[in-house]
Amino acid sequence: MSGDGEANAERIVGGLLRAGVEIAASLPDSWLSPLIERISNEPRIKHIRVTREDDGVGICAGAALGGKRAVLVCQNAGLLLSANALAGYAHHHQLPFLVLAVYRGSYEDRFYYQMYKGQVTEPVLEALRIPFHIVDRIEDVAIVEEAVREATLARKPVVVLLRRAALLGDAKAS
Amino acid sequence: MRRSVAAKLVRERLDPKDVVLCGLGSTARAWREEKAPQATYYASDPMGMAPALALGLALARPDRRIVLLEGDGDLAMNLGALITIAGAAPANLRLAVFINDRYETGGGQALPNAGRISYVTLAAGAGWPWTGEAHDEKQAARLFSALLDLPGLGLLAVHVDAEPSPYPPDAGPTSQAEDRAVFQRRLSDAD
Repeated sequence: MSGDGEANAERIVGGLLRAGVEIAASLPDSWLSPLIERISNEPRIKHIRVTREDDGVGICAGAALGGKRAVLVCQNAGLLLSANALAGYAHHHQLPFLVLAVYRGSYEDRFYYQMYKGQVTEPVLEALRIPFHIVDRIEDVAIVEEAVREATLARKPVVVLLRRAALLGDAKAS
Repeated sequence: MRRSVAAKLVRERLDPKDVVLCGLGSTARAWREEKAPQATYYASDPMGMAPALALGLALARPDRRIVLLEGDGDLAMNLGALITIAGAAPANLRLAVFINDRYETGGGQALPNAGRISYVTLAAGAGWPWTGEAHDEKQAARLFSALLDLPGLGLLAVHVDAEPSPYPPDAGPTSQAEDRAVFQRRLSDAD
């Protein structure tokens, strides 16, 4: 485990920029705070705050429709909420974009109310036939850039699930 | 006012370079029947997503005016999108919502609280800088022009008659993904 929230956010946004991402939609989670703040301060990325995660799915799909690369940043609860939207843009419209989702409810979590999300996220993504990858440590951040390329080639959204350590390193967060 | 009249009023006022994104259901039927020359993407399913899809397209193509033609059933499914769009405030996005108070394609069932919903109040409360509401053809003609003349974001609520909108006999010759590719090619060829 290495880095801290700000340093890790810098590396993740670096990957987004190298991948050509120009539009980001986000809905917060406490573990995502440094990343969302870094994105909002990045002049090369247009940042849109959404009221529901499936709004972000639609925005990213619309951006892809217009020829731009986009990312949705949200909690894994947002993936569960957005199941219909993700499946529709993956298999019906076939539009590519990246989802960076914080992986709540796993071994790193300390809250009962997060646990159900961790128990169902991967099976739901598998059922939706949405490709996903798990980033355990910031040292694996290259997956972010590669997932954008995968989405573009596969013509569908690709999800990267970010562990707490990959987002915050050793920093304490609730 | 019949929905075909409302669609005709839109067609007569659009610029050739405008891009139309059309929500699903009877609004899409009306717009297809207009055979308008503008590049049009039909949002299809997932229902409720057309406003967000239009916002993404507007952000990706700030050089083009994006006109979202929407139905009230689709818009009602995700009213939070009104807040998200107002927050993003893309200067090149205009929204016209056709209100018939029914899920027309689904069989004509009433929307919840049908007839008592004010979309202009909802939009204004969400922070939209301009709203208009048309109850007849004369108002619609004036307000469609006003919507398109705006320098920025605006929402026009257009009340249309409830008319049957049965499913077509077949799904058509092309898939959504094929239509998407044709739309994208058309958009890039026009640059």
